Order: sequence, then C-alpha cells, then structure tokens
Amino acid sequence: MADTKSVVAGDSTVVFEDVSGEYETTSAAAAETAKKSGGIKGFIKRYENLGYRAKKKITFIISRIFVYFVLIEMAYLFVLPFIYIFSTSLMTSQDYMDPTVQYIPTTINWDNFKKAFEALDYVKSFINSMGTSLLSAIFQTTSCALIGYAIGRYKFKGRNLIFLFVILVLLIPPQVMILASYGIWATLSLVNTWAPVVIPTIFGLGLRGALFVLIYMYFFQRIPDVMDDAARIDGAGPLRVFGQIMLPLVKSAVAIVFIFSFVWHWNDNYEAPMYMYLDGHQTLQPRLQNIQMYYSKYATSQAVMSELEKSLSEPMLFAGCLMVMLPVLIVYVFGQKQLAAGIERIGVIE
Amino acid sequence: MKKQVKYKKKLAHSQKYTLLSFEKKRSLEGFVFAIPWLLGFIAFVVIPLALSVRISFFQTVLTDLYGFRGTSTYVGFNNYVKVIQDPAVGETVFRSFGMSLIKVPVIVAFSLFVAVLLKQDFPGRTAFRVIFFIPVILAGTIMTYLFQDGVGNMSVFSTLTTGVQQLNSFFGTIMSNIGAIMWASSVEILIFLAALQSVPATLYEVVELDGASAWETFWHVTLPYISPFVILNFVYAMVDSFVASDNPVMSIMDSMTREGTKYGQASALSWLYMLATLAVILIFILFTRRWLK
Repeated sequence: MADTKSVVAGDSTVVFEDVSGEYETTSAAAAETAKKSGGIKGFIKRYENLGYRAKKKITFIISRIFVYFVLIEMAYLFVLPFIYIFSTSLMTSQDYMDPTVQYIPTTINWDNFKKAFEALDYVKSFINSMGTSLLSAIFQTTSCALIGYAIGRYKFKGRNLIFLFVILVLLIPPQVMILASYGIWATLSLVNTWAPVVIPTIFGLGLRGALFVLIYMYFFQRIPDVMDDAARIDGAGPLRVFGQIMLPLVKSAVAIVFIFSFVWHWNDNYEAPMYMYLDGHQTLQPRLQNIQMYYSKYATSQAVMSELEKSLSEPMLFAGCLMVMLPVLIVYVFGQKQLAAGIERIGVIE
Repeated sequence: MKKQVKYKKKLAHSQKYTLLSFEKKRSLEGFVFAIPWLLGFIAFVVIPLALSVRISFFQTVLTDLYGFRGTSTYVGFNNYVKVIQDPAVGETVFRSFGMSLIKVPVIVAFSLFVAVLLKQDFPGRTAFRVIFFIPVILAGTIMTYLFQDGVGNMSVFSTLTTGVQQLNSFFGTIMSNIGAIMWASSVEILIFLAALQSVPATLYEVVELDGASAWETFWHVTLPYISPFVILNFVYAMVDSFVASDNPVMSIMDSMTREGTKYGQASALSWLYMLATLAVILIFILFTRRWLK
C-alpha cells in the first residue's frame, strides 16, 4: 500500500519510502479499530486520524454547506414577502379568503391597482413623497459630507465637542423634539409644506443625519494625509481639495448615503406624516392606511372596521403597497451595483 | 547683540498677528466646514430641546404651546409627577426596556454572525449581500401589514424549532421572533461588514501559519479587533429599539399628543424616557469601555 518514490541521483537509485503513506496506513488501521467501536465516537476518531489536507477539505465542505443553508434560509425570509405582496395584489377578495388558494391567484385581477391608485391619491402623494425624499437625499449627501469631512480630517478646537454633539443627535429620539419642532414650523406657517422635512437636511440634520455624518467621517478618516498634502502643494484651496480630491475618493460613501437617505425618507412613517397631514399634502406611506377605510362603507376609522371588511380589502392594500414600493425598488435595483461596491469597500484600507 | 534679539522677538510677534500659522489656518478651515451643521444643530436640535423642556413645565393648550402668551399655566414638576405616578406608563416603560434587553443582544449576535458569513468568499456572495438589504427597503407601514398577515415571520428556522418554542418560553419568544429580529438588523450587518473588512489580512495569514482553527481565529483575532464596533452596534441597536415606532412607549406618547390637552405630560414623559435610555446607554458604555480601546 505504501507508495514509493524513486529519485535518480547520479547512477545510484535511492528509494525513499513516503512518510505520509506510512501515516495513512496507520490511520487506516486506526480507522479499522474505530469502525469496530462504531458510533459517533468512531466517526470522530476517524476524522482525527485524517491528514491535514483532508481535514481542511472536510471542514471546508461542511462550512460551505452550513453557510449556504443559513444564507438561503435568510434569503427566503426576506424574499418571500415580495412574492406574497405581488401575488396578493393580483388576487380577488374571494381568492384571498379561500384557504386553498396560495400564492397563485385563480384569476388575475388588475382592478386592485386601479382602486388603490384612487385611494392613495397616487399622483399627488407620489409628488410629495418624491419631492421630499429626493431633495432630502440630495441635501443630506452634500451637507453630511461637509461636517463628516470637518470632523474626519481636521483637528481643531471644539472638534471633539462637535463629535459629541453628533453622537448626541444620534441618541436623542425624535419624539422628544417633535412637539416643539411642530410648534416652531406651525408659527412659521410652514406645516403641510415640504419645508419641515427638507430644511433640516440642508444643514446635515434631519432623518438619521447623524448616522450619515458618522459614515462619512469614517470614510474620510481612511484616506491617507498624503493625498490632500499633494493637492495643497499644487495650490488647491480647501474647497477644491474637498470637492475634487476628497469627494471622488469616497464615491462609495456618497452612494450609500444617497440610497439610504432616499429610501429612509421614502419609508418615513413618523416625521413626514406629522408635518404633512392634510389631504393632498400627505406622502404615500400614511396614505396606505386610507386604503382599507376607503372601501369600507361604514368605517370612520380603522378600529371600527370589521375583521371581514379588513380581510376583503387586503388585496387592494397590497396592490397599494406594491405601488408605494415601486420607486424604492427601482432605486435599489439601479443603485444595487454601487451599493454592493460601497459595501465591499467600506473598511478596506487603501 | 541685544538689539538683534529684540528685533527677532518683534518680528515673531508681528507675524503672529498678520499671518496665521499653518496649523491655525488648517483648524480654522475645519471649523468653517463645520459651521453649517452647527447652525442647524442650534436651530433644529438645541432650540426644540429647550422648548420641549419648557412645555413639560406647563399645562399647555395648542394656541399657546410654549406658555409665552399666558393662556397656559405653569405647573412646575406636576407633569413629571403625574407621569411617574401613572402605573400604566411605568409598566409599559419597564416592559419595553425588558423587551429591548432580550432583543438587542440577539440582534447584535445575529448580525455579527451574518456579517462573518457574508465576509467569506464564496460564489454568489454579491447576490446575498444585496438580498440582505431588502429589510432597508421594505420598512415602514408595509412591514406592519406583512407581520399582521404572518408573512414576515415565515422562516424555515422557526418551523424547525417549533418544538423548542413550546419547551422553553424565553427561548421560544426569541425563536418565534427570529424573523422580526432579522428584519431589524440590516444596518448592524453593514457596520459589522465594514469592521470585518478593516481587519488586516496579514493577521489572518499569521494565525493560519500558527495552526489556529477558524473558531480560535474568530475569538482571538477577529473579535478583539472589531470589539469597538460590537459596542457601537449594541448602542445603535439599543437606540433603534428604544425609539422604534412599534415601541409601546412611543404609542403612549403619540396618544398623549393626539389628546390635545396633555402636551405637557407628553413632553415630560419623553424627557424622562430619553434620560432613562441615555442612562442605560451610558451605563452600558461605562461597563464596556475597556473594549472600546
């Protein structure tokens, strides 16, 4: 069984006995005895007697199977709701109530979308949602970059204090300030306009602004000092260094912040509905709650609706959900490459 | 000789005032970059915070929210006393803290686990990375509806562990909520991915040469290296669960605000709650600061 190698050196032939081969025979013997003892113990013993390469291969295969199992399980968890929304939105109420119909509707019912379109007041709400989200995203990507640049690359008196303030803003729940802020915007008679949502983002605050500042700070800190020193020696001013050297270097951060900011503003179900509550001034998210009420004859609020009525309007609700999600999905699909690249690059020291 | 020294001193002195030194110029630039944010901080954080403190000391009406016009009455600490004495509020706050106490470690552990998996190089990695950001898109009201229909929670894992759920109620609550927990951990996964990518590859090569197993590598190289990010994620997950819109304390606040006459109490509650959450976070940081480097 022992495998031999012959090496020709000059005219004499030296035969080496392969050490690993010998090892294998002993391990085979051990495996033989282990087999007799049987069970898991034997299995472990057999594994222990394997060579380094074989061990590594086995652990590799096991870990791969494990990784794929876990990831596919989670992907299933996250993808299933999409399929559910999509299929439910095409069902009739009868299909939805019928327990034998699952995921595949008997007849495709496009009517849900038409009704949801009406109930959402789609065009107006869409403009409000798009306007606030897009403007906020644009402003946050620039203004948060400024402050992130300041605390990430400069050392000045009060820098640590400003950093502390940023952390504080991250920690303060918006609920603490919402009443007072509402009062301020109301006295300025700017309620039911885009201003309360958009204006704070011009200054790098607004929805999760502090988190974006920290992301930028983190990215800017990673750029070596040589970069801006070189630009300075070539005579570039601070704004030029920031705009032409530094910002292009953190492209992935820009992509991440823009996508997250847009999506979070789009999905915002707290601040925007608080400031923009009148009909025709609402964003899409709060309008979703109207769908079910819209088709109930008697209900004046969601609490009054009967369970049956709620269930009957469910397909329309999910058609509405799909319509609300659509722009975000598009952003996600198109920005996905940048997002993935950004995620690949964060933390990588260049 | 003496004269020369004097002259030098004078020169240095005059330079100090006419031309800023390199460092000073730099630091001034940094400050200028920070000015817009500071202005916004004063306008949209400091002033509302100050006003909300004022509201909490008044029995306010909507026409005179801040009590400057005299229609609202100053009640001192009465609002705070009322909030503290209300047994329903106290119970809800403690329940929400308890929930967070269970949820947060699970979220952090889960997101670290997923991040470690996603960090590995395997075919299809990019696709999985993209899938893991679906929770970011599918947020807000839509998720609430999905959970109402029981779709958000449908995982293979929770069906497999149905038996365990019945055996142990504490473990069972976690298992039955595993879907909700996964949905809440996308930003944490992102932070951990960033952290994992910052661990130098040479470190891994060294320990592999020394014959460390994957398990040992994780505990002795990866974890110590990313420990500050673990703390950061704990803090982020805590904040996230404290201020989540499905948190019962938030709904109490919202209902108080809607009632119209309880603005003072809502403000008092929000301040007490915020101070409590900040205290919890500070205590946490105090205990874990040795891992913050």
